[in-house]
Amino acid sequence: MFFIKELSHTIHLHPSYFGPRMLQFLESKLYSDVEGTCSGEFGYIIAVVSILDIGKGLVMPGNGQAEFVTRYRAIVFKPFKGQVMDGVVVNVNKMGFFADVGPLSVFVSHQLIHPELKFDPNSNPPSFASEDQIIEKNTRVRLKIVGTRVDATEIFAIGTIKEDHLGVID
Amino acid sequence: MSDVEDETVLNSGDPAEDHEEEQEKQPSKSRRRDYDEDEEEEEEEDDEEDDDEEDEEDEDEGTKRGQKRAKHRHKKPAVNRFLDVEAEVDEDEDEEEEEDEYARDEFIADAGVEGEEDFDTVRRAADHARYDRRVREMDDRELEQVAEDISQRYRRTAVRYTGEMSDVPQRLLMPSVHDANLWQVRVRPGKERDIVFSLMRKAIDLEYGARPLQILSAFQRDSLPGMIYVEARSAKQVSEAINGLVGVFPSRGINLVPIEEMASLLQIKQQELTVTPGSWVRIKRGKYQGDLAQVMDVTENGEEVGLKFIPRIDLNPKDEASLDGRKRKKAGTGLSSFSMRPPQRFFNYEEVVKVYGRKSVSKRNQVFVFQNDTYKDGFIEKDFRLTALQLDDVNPTLDEITRFTRGQDGNENESNVDLSIIAEASRKAAISVLQPGDHVEVFEGEQSGVHGTVHSIEQDVVTIEPEGVDFDGQRVQIPARSVRKRFKPGDHVKVMTGKNSDETGLVVSVLDNVVTFLSDMSMQEVSVFSKDLREAAEVGTGTNIVGNYELHDLVQLDQQTVGVIFKTERDSFRVLDQNGQVRLVQPHQITMRRDSNRAIAVDSEGHELRRGDNVKEVDGEGRKGRVLHTHQSFFAFLHNRDYNENGGVFVTRARSLASLAPKGNAMKLGATDLSKMNPALSGGAGGMVGSGMMGRGPRDRLIGVSVMVIKGPSKGYVGTIKDTNGPHARVELLTGNKVITIDKEKLRRRNPDGSLDVLEKPMGGMGPPRPGGGQTPNPYNQGGERTPAWGANNTGRTPNPYNDSRTPAWSANSRTPNPYADHGKTPAWDATARTPNPYAQAGGKTPAWNSSSRTPNPYAGANSSSAPTWGGATPGRPSGSGWDTWDTRSAPTPFSAFTPGAPTPAPYVSLQTPAIYEYQTPAQSSAYPHTPGFLSGGIWGNIENTFELSPKWLLDPNLADKVAGIMVEVRGSYASAGQPGWHNADYEGKQGVVLSVFNTDNDTFQSTARVRFFQPVDPLQPIVPVPVTYLWPVHPEKKGEDVIILSGAQGMGQEARVEAVESRNTMVLTTKATFLVIDSHPERLVRTRQVDEVGNFVR
Repeated sequence: MFFIKELSHTIHLHPSYFGPRMLQFLESKLYSDVEGTCSGEFGYIIAVVSILDIGKGLVMPGNGQAEFVTRYRAIVFKPFKGQVMDGVVVNVNKMGFFADVGPLSVFVSHQLIHPELKFDPNSNPPSFASEDQIIEKNTRVRLKIVGTRVDATEIFAIGTIKEDHLGVID
Repeated sequence: MSDVEDETVLNSGDPAEDHEEEQEKQPSKSRRRDYDEDEEEEEEEDDEEDDDEEDEEDEDEGTKRGQKRAKHRHKKPAVNRFLDVEAEVDEDEDEEEEEDEYARDEFIADAGVEGEEDFDTVRRAADHARYDRRVREMDDRELEQVAEDISQRYRRTAVRYTGEMSDVPQRLLMPSVHDANLWQVRVRPGKERDIVFSLMRKAIDLEYGARPLQILSAFQRDSLPGMIYVEARSAKQVSEAINGLVGVFPSRGINLVPIEEMASLLQIKQQELTVTPGSWVRIKRGKYQGDLAQVMDVTENGEEVGLKFIPRIDLNPKDEASLDGRKRKKAGTGLSSFSMRPPQRFFNYEEVVKVYGRKSVSKRNQVFVFQNDTYKDGFIEKDFRLTALQLDDVNPTLDEITRFTRGQDGNENESNVDLSIIAEASRKAAISVLQPGDHVEVFEGEQSGVHGTVHSIEQDVVTIEPEGVDFDGQRVQIPARSVRKRFKPGDHVKVMTGKNSDETGLVVSVLDNVVTFLSDMSMQEVSVFSKDLREAAEVGTGTNIVGNYELHDLVQLDQQTVGVIFKTERDSFRVLDQNGQVRLVQPHQITMRRDSNRAIAVDSEGHELRRGDNVKEVDGEGRKGRVLHTHQSFFAFLHNRDYNENGGVFVTRARSLASLAPKGNAMKLGATDLSKMNPALSGGAGGMVGSGMMGRGPRDRLIGVSVMVIKGPSKGYVGTIKDTNGPHARVELLTGNKVITIDKEKLRRRNPDGSLDVLEKPMGGMGPPRPGGGQTPNPYNQGGERTPAWGANNTGRTPNPYNDSRTPAWSANSRTPNPYADHGKTPAWDATARTPNPYAQAGGKTPAWNSSSRTPNPYAGANSSSAPTWGGATPGRPSGSGWDTWDTRSAPTPFSAFTPGAPTPAPYVSLQTPAIYEYQTPAQSSAYPHTPGFLSGGIWGNIENTFELSPKWLLDPNLADKVAGIMVEVRGSYASAGQPGWHNADYEGKQGVVLSVFNTDNDTFQSTARVRFFQPVDPLQPIVPVPVTYLWPVHPEKKGEDVIILSGAQGMGQEARVEAVESRNTMVLTTKATFLVIDSHPERLVRTRQVDEVGNFVR
């Protein structure tokens, strides 16, 4: 699920940047620092929408660097159990397949794939195939998250397509 | 008695009576029951135990039987009197009583033989009659009367102490303060039984001697290793008894056993043998040690059991003899000890026949016989002695059972898995793993299907709070065995016990009590029992790293043994060693981690085998896998996830492998080979490339350093450091040809002149000039005085105002200490430590510069601060500070680099400030203020301080008049993407000497060089024009070789001669024109020879 969330990020700036283009630099640094990262708490930070407050640069004793606590508003993406989403299959093996839902990697175990879809080890690329459907690399699938594992810097999910209206989408 | 099994009891007194059937003595019970009890209690029961009338009869009986009979036989008639052998069936019989039964039968038989049959029959009839009458009488009597009767009888027994211990009830047999004491004596573990026996022999021996042993008994318990117990009145008697016995440690004390513990020492727990057909056991010893086996049948005597298990047949026996039928046996036994243990595989007739020949396997209806073993359905069926089996704590894992049930065909039919086999065992354990708060479900009984959380557990009953609308707040009590932990797909779980313990993952499916989850770490599916799981909030605590070692590391276990870690456990590893043995290893047992990156091995086709190659066995089992490591060019450790055994890691011989990928890629092979084979080349690259050096260069700069030992037994000895390991160094002593391991602190660097220095000079000292030349182990200190040419130069130079802050060597020559001295030529640390300032060369050439250097050089200011910069970038700096130091310490550098350009631009241009060198300092190459250096240290890692020789180096104008005689090597002539290649790479790797260069000055037509090859492809045509882009310099390797400097401050094209080859790929050169001494990396040099027109060497 996507959210717009106010977040903050702390930037340490070397004194050599103290100058006319400092703000510009801070902004680009913020973008590069946070966009595409993942925090377990809020999920993936997809994009910074706006910078609310770049913060007051506070020179830290000792090393002369300035600390900016930047508040910004960002689109975050966090998967939830039970959520249905669309992804692209990236890898198929006999245990199941991995699909990418944006930055999130979802594993769909063969136990959570409809039994009609059988793993075909001989196909190239490997695939799960039934009479009318085939799941291989780059197939788009609709899946439902059944569980997530949230690390500090990564979210991993397992999904199922063994329910109605889930599976290959054309 | 039969239940005294493993315990050795040497008892000089009454028999130890421990096992007593706890039967309530109810007064209303018949006397017969009483009798049974007595019989069990005491075989040598005195007849007086019973009623008077019976006594009389007994005595009659006794006299008739004759005194010679064993005592218990005396009693047997009594038995017969009470037993209606023809009709009555004794329901209370226990197993142990069977013997008695036999004895009884025997007796009856005996009686018949003795011709007393008639009498017996008559008497027995009378007995029965009397007994019946008495029973009737008893029924008539009041219950009170009966009770009175019985209580009286027992009171009487208790009081009547006749000196014979035999009829004393159990509680009176309990030891008291008046009894002899038990003394615990420490003995050598494993020798307990022997020692008890020797005590017994000693007692018997001395029994009628002058000083008999005064101990009363001695025994040992198998459950208490390392101690025996001796019964005696005093410790002194004990010590006298054990005196002189080997393996007894009286020095460790003869301890008194407290009275209340004495009885428990002698208590024997009934051991039940649970070997029933179908149960699981493990094999204790031999080739199949630790393997799971299923009991098929048990022999009559219970000594041997027939087992069925998965065979381990060696499908590539090394020993030819094992193929030979005659020596089969020997090979079979030899296998277990010193060669690889073959993996578990189902017996396959075709495979075995292929290896061992058709004759070795015979078929008898459904069964194969091979090497005297019987194989059926792929399993081996073999009889084992019970003692060679482990019956308890078998804990068959799901994997093993799956394997077992999957059968020979290997089809993964999960439904085949009969989980009920182990379900029983696991169920028992399941009770103990429940905790309040656990999510459980009821899977049997009338509450089946209900799920909820555990509220409390009392013994075998759990109280659960069910979830669901029907139950609001009420609690249900359920037997613990009917509930199991409940997990849903998507739960994050952690394995608590078993071989997967600490693994975490997301549940993908739940089937009864088997939960399948996807491991967080390995992304593999793992099936475990739900009892072994619990829900875990934390993620992946299980890690592949324990200590310094990681999964799939090659580790040295001892001198001969290396192994690959294939499983990490909580604080230990499972290691597969090169012999195929699996070891459980603690981190401290590992000597070191080995790096097989550079190990060379070849496969069956002679191709090089590298880490990560996908290979296949060509013989044996044809297993495929990815090369993890190679060891001693012989063993290859492979990994394949598809194999369950040993985590998919297996060891095989490198020579029996073949690459799976088509090996047509000769170019890749050739190219890597060359760079690997030429140490100068690889070393050179290491020296130049920042990160490359870290990996491939010498691990420690101290290696090769000449040292003297200043402390310890080897004090005064001189040697060379061969290897270093943390604070230790391995030093090869000059004397005695000995290598010793010694603390680095006890070593001092030994300079060529014999003076000593600290071994490890602080490397930060590179930039800040070191006070006092004496400390710098700089050969050029002396060099300054040595070379008269320099002295001559001196006079022409302006004394440097920065003298005081420089090393004397520099100031002596009054050169500006320029950290850029080495630009493009030598790594910085070499520069500061050793290189005489190349500005001297410049000075020689451009006097203009000298004059400018008279002005206080603003750059000099930068030098001191930028020196550490270079240091930071320098590979091989042991400080290891890397780029981080760079960042913090040298922050001002860019500014200083910028600023000095302004005031005195001219000299800088002429001097080629670092900014325009071919490898610029990163700071200077990037524009302010976006200097990446300030963002984070990490980015710096990308910028490498490389020395890249231009592909058209031969066309360099500096070399224009010197090309003749340059030795070159053809490289990169393979056809590759976008490149047609040259002569089908026939000349790849060939060396030759350049005769002339034809420079077309454009890219359309290739510039070529006429090269005379030393070993031409066509002997008739040794001189071939070669495009210059395929020609690469041949680097000097030896002292005395002539070279041309390819890269350097002003050195491009300078001719020089190698004066010395130092360790770590540094060469000391003297230039021919100026007689300057420089040191340089061989990679920056090209060898040259004097040649005539046709390429023959002059001289």
